[in-house]
Order: sequence, then C-alpha cells, then structure tokens
Amino acid sequence: MAASISGYTFSSVCYHSANSNSDHEGFLLGDVRQEETVSISDTQISTAESVQVVEIHNHDPCAKLFSFYDYAGKLNEENLNSILKDRRKNVIGWYRFRRNTQQQMSFREQIIHKQLTELLGVPDLVFLLFSFISTANSSTHALEYVLFRPHHSRYNQRITLTIPNLGNTSQQEYKVSSVPNTSINYTQVIKEHGAEFFDKDGVMKDIRTIYQVYSALQDKLQAVCGEVEQSERVKENIQEDVNKLKQQIALRKRKTAEEERRLLEAQNADSHPTPEENTEPSDASPLSRIAFQTPSAPERPSTSPNPPSYSDLLAQGDSLPSSSSPTTSAALLPRPQAVGSPGHPMPGPLGMGLGLTASSNPVTTPSTPYLGNGDGSSSDSLDRQAAGQEDDDDEEDEDEDEDEDSSEYENLVSEAGHLPMVSTSGLAQGRPAALGPDGDARGSQAT
Amino acid sequence: MAVSAVHLESDAFLVCMNHALSTEKEEVMGLCIGEVETTRIVHIHSVIILRRSDKRKDRVEISPEQLSAASTEAERLADMTGRPMRVVGWYHSHPHITVWPSHVDVRTQAMYQMLDQCFVGLIFSCFIEDKNTKTGRVLYTGFQSVQAQKGSEYERVEIPVHVVPREAIGKVCLESAVELPRILCQEEQDTYRKIHSLAHLDAVTKIHNGSVFTKNLCSQMSAVSGPLLQWLEDRLEQNQQSIVELRQEKERLQRELAAI
Repeated sequence: MAASISGYTFSSVCYHSANSNSDHEGFLLGDVRQEETVSISDTQISTAESVQVVEIHNHDPCAKLFSFYDYAGKLNEENLNSILKDRRKNVIGWYRFRRNTQQQMSFREQIIHKQLTELLGVPDLVFLLFSFISTANSSTHALEYVLFRPHHSRYNQRITLTIPNLGNTSQQEYKVSSVPNTSINYTQVIKEHGAEFFDKDGVMKDIRTIYQVYSALQDKLQAVCGEVEQSERVKENIQEDVNKLKQQIALRKRKTAEEERRLLEAQNADSHPTPEENTEPSDASPLSRIAFQTPSAPERPSTSPNPPSYSDLLAQGDSLPSSSSPTTSAALLPRPQAVGSPGHPMPGPLGMGLGLTASSNPVTTPSTPYLGNGDGSSSDSLDRQAAGQEDDDDEEDEDEDEDEDSSEYENLVSEAGHLPMVSTSGLAQGRPAALGPDGDARGSQAT
Repeated sequence: MAVSAVHLESDAFLVCMNHALSTEKEEVMGLCIGEVETTRIVHIHSVIILRRSDKRKDRVEISPEQLSAASTEAERLADMTGRPMRVVGWYHSHPHITVWPSHVDVRTQAMYQMLDQCFVGLIFSCFIEDKNTKTGRVLYTGFQSVQAQKGSEYERVEIPVHVVPREAIGKVCLESAVELPRILCQEEQDTYRKIHSLAHLDAVTKIHNGSVFTKNLCSQMSAVSGPLLQWLEDRLEQNQQSIVELRQEKERLQRELAAI
C-alpha cells in the first residue's frame, strides 16, 4: 500500500496547524486507486502486482476541536454532514496535529476512527498524525508525520507517505554535441523527414507549443491567485468586524451587569438605611457583589475576540496558561534528542515524559545534540558535519532528559536499533499512566 | 549574538514549505523580507524565491544582483505596507539531509553578517523518512554565525524561531508562491537557449534537445503548476465558504448587539 500527498496540501496543513494554538484536525479528501504493476521474472512470464494507492488531493480543516464528536468520542452525524457537505463522498481519511506527543493513535482517536469508517462507509479510512516537537530553546522544530491505516482493530499499521515533487530538474539531459557520422544517407534522410519538426525559423515546433501550454497555465495561476487574494482580504475584513462586534457585545454586557449591580446595591441601601449612607460600591455587602458576577462576564481568553498578540505571549514567557503556544513556554521541555536521532546508538531509552512532567527537567541546553539525519537516508549526512558543539552536549543531554515514564519515541531513534518494530498490538504498552485514557497530553483540547 | 529571535509569519512559513517541498533532488533557496525590531527580534513578513545560479551541491549562495533585486522588492513591500521593510535573512532547504547548516552554510552566513549583523539564516530539512517506523519528518531551524576567536573557524549559533499565526495569507506571499513555476520555466529556457545556439548539432540532436525541453516543462507543470493551481482553487473555495459563515455570524452578532 502506498500513499501520496501534494506538497501544497501538506504545507497547507502545516500552515493551519501553525495558526492554531491547540490541536488541529480535519479531513483528508482524495481517491484510492488500484495500481497494477507488471513484473517479469525468470520463473514466471508476468506477475501482476496490485497495489492500493491512496492519493490525498486536499484537506478540509475543522475550525475547532470537538466539532463533530463529543468528549466521550461519540460522533455526531449531523455535525459531520454540515462540516463536510457534499465533500463527504471524497473523504478517504482524517488528520490530527498535536504538539509534544506520541506517534500513536490515542484512544479517543481510535474510537472516532472506528465510527468514521462505519458512518462514511470507508473501510480503509486512513489517519494522518502530525506531531510537533521543538528543542528547548525553540531554535529547531520538527514536524513528524505518520499515516496510519487501521485494520481489524489494529491501530498501528502504517503506510509510507510520499510527497511527489519535481525530483530531478537536471538539465544534463541536453546533448551538447552530436554523435559523429559521415554517412551521407543518414544526413539526407534525417534532414528530409526531420524537417517536419522544425518551423521556418529552424526552431522546433514543439518548443513553441509547449511554451504556449505553460504560458496559458501561468496566466490562469495568476488569475486564480488574484481571486484568492481578494477573498483573503474580504475574509480578513469580515473577521475583523465580527471581532469588533463581539467586543462591543461583551462591553455592553459588562456595563449592564455593573449598572444592575449598582442599582441593586442602591436598593439594598434604601431598604436597610445605615448611618454611612453612601453609594460607594466598596461599602456594599460583599454578598451582593458576588451574586452579581453575572454569567455573561467577559469570555475566557481563549475565545475572546482579541486574543493576546503573539508578541505579548512571548514576552510573558513562563506565566502562560497551558493552552497557549507550547514553543514559547520554557517550562515545556520537549526532548531535544527527538529532533532527529544521533548517529550512534544511545545507551538507554530515549525520551522523557510528555510536557506534564517537564518541570522536573529544568536544565536547558544551549545547543541541541543532533547528529546525522535520524534515519541514515543519505550518505551526504556524513559529509555535512554540522558546525557547532553537538558532540560535547550530546552526552550530558542523554542523562538529564530521561524520565521514569519514558514513553517510547521509537520512531525518532531509528538507527539506534531500539525501535520496537511496527507493533500490531493495538494500544502501545508503556503509555504514561499520568495521562488520561485518550493519551492527549494537551489539556487545551477543552477550549 | 545580535539577534534574539526570529518571528516568521505563518503565511511566509507556508511559502517556504511550498518551496522546500517542490524538489527533493536539489537545494532551493530564497530571501526573507521583513524588519528588525528594537528588541532584536527579526520579523519576517514574506519571502522571495530565488534562482540558483550555481546548482552544485551545497553551493547555496546569493549573487549581488539577486540581493539588489530583493532590496528593490523589499522597497516595494515597504511602500505597500507602510512599514520599513528590508532583506533580513535567507532560507534554503536540505532535502534528505540534516537540518543543521554545513560548514559552507555557516561561512556564507558569516559573510552576510559582515554586511548586516542582524542577518539570519533559516534551513528547512525535508523528505526525511524513517523507513522502520514509516515516519516522515520536516524540520526547520534558525541560525547565525559567530567566530569563537579571531582567525578561527566560524561556528553556528542557534536562534529561536517562532511561527507567528496569521489567519489570512498576505498578497506578497501569494505572489511569491506563484513565482516558482515562472522561475523554473525561465531556468529551463535559459539552458535551452544556450544549447540551441550551438551550431554544429545535427537534426536528430536538435529534435532530442527540443524534446528534453518539452519533457522538463511538462514535468514542471505537472509537479508544480498543477498542484499549485489546485491548492489555490481549494483555498478560494474554503475562503468563500468561510465568508458566507462569517457573514451569517456577523448578522447574528449585530442582532444580538441591537437587542441589548
């Protein structure tokens, strides 16, 4: 089984994820095809191998979490339909973006996945998990992605996801010289019949033709780009209006609440006259003040129309609530080693507990112990010894970042050979007990 | 170090990712446009995709002409946004390679820092796959260079990078994204023109070369132009839907405000 996703769709998911300060999820739209590859071997004339190819064309981001399911993981078909509309038939999977997390389907995700396969009638529904991790000083970030294809309650089956691209743009295929040939017949035949290819200027007709195709495509690109740009501005403006309205409503509600409170306090003062009869709210009975903390108090910061600007968040540093961007809080120490594995085997289990226990590791390292590219893919990695002091820092980091609850970040320690192979035993063992049943470290889901 | 952090707007981040994922066989590069704040934070608002004149491995360098063209672009951006914009850094990709800058990268960065000590470098590492766990990885890092002692080799200095959320994609970023197919075609045309000017080629060779050009352009259209166009159309559709929903919400809020 193979899967592919376009670079633009992939970047778009990264973009939406970067914009959200909590987890992010959505649906994958596309196609599943059967591809036949014919191979000829010595033993048989031809063997046709049938491969299922999952093509992800597009993604449909969900505006917020819990939009089509509740806290128990129960799906709401009505909400699902209103989100997907007529794209429902194109759904081939769904995705989730999480920060500082394990590369496994959480319990809730498994439940949701099962219901989705039944509801949508797609038995081979796939689940794309993005997990984001950063070094302690936030200088390096890694986005890891795994495509799961759960099968018969086995939730750890994975498929390789490729991103088709330009590949080799090598222009070395042009020939700079012709093969020498003194045959007159050869030259004559080629000239006579080959003339078809050239126009009166001696330029190959194909060149002009293909350039026309490219040019038309580029013009269309510009045109659609212009339309997208306009729609972005319109969307921005309406969003601003909506935010302003929310602000005004909140302000108005606050004012009316205060007025009501003052009115009631004034009434109380009338009915129970006291020598120091004044209308100062500070002298009023504390009970009445408490009673008038109206339910329409300003919304929680996470849903306020004016969320704190990003630079404000960064300035606040450690005093942030857990729901804000994790990369800004130094208290959340993601495992530095996770950002690619070292080029040599590690002495002990890597990884540390998820953000919950991060406070036990207050040491921040100035540079990241990252040697090699984590999967021995290219021999170039040996040539590209990074400048820096990784060698020294690697040793100290290993010891400091281990935790009792070291969950297996197997996927990150590839060559070290500590990886349990793709296990098919459903929920992986060693899920930190500190986490709830669905294994989501981030409490921010409850926004 | 002169720079305390890099704030990369998410739409510029989107363009960098698009560019980095466009090819796995060679490094791509571009310039970052933005401003440096008094807090020594480099704020990157958009990026410009560049052509690589020297396509040898690990030779990611920017020519003076490109820097000059980028500065002009920065001025145009400054006029458009009314904010002081200039070239504040460069980015390039490391397909199949570790995200850390090589010695050459560090030296190149050091050179730029001589002209502007707040110049920053970003590297995007992509097409990394762990075959055992079928995990793919995309990494990005920010760095500058420092010389430990006078006369010694340059070393990498890590610079924190934060992606700043931006719900709507800016005009400049969209334009940069659409530049990529144009740049690819230009590169192909330039190469073909040089080949075509060789006089001693026979007809078969000319036909061959013409076909290579056609093949390469087709490749670009199907791998880059096509998917880009599809993404733009999808984005347009998403935006249109959002606009409808936002308009409904706006009306609802207006009614609510009027009722209070």
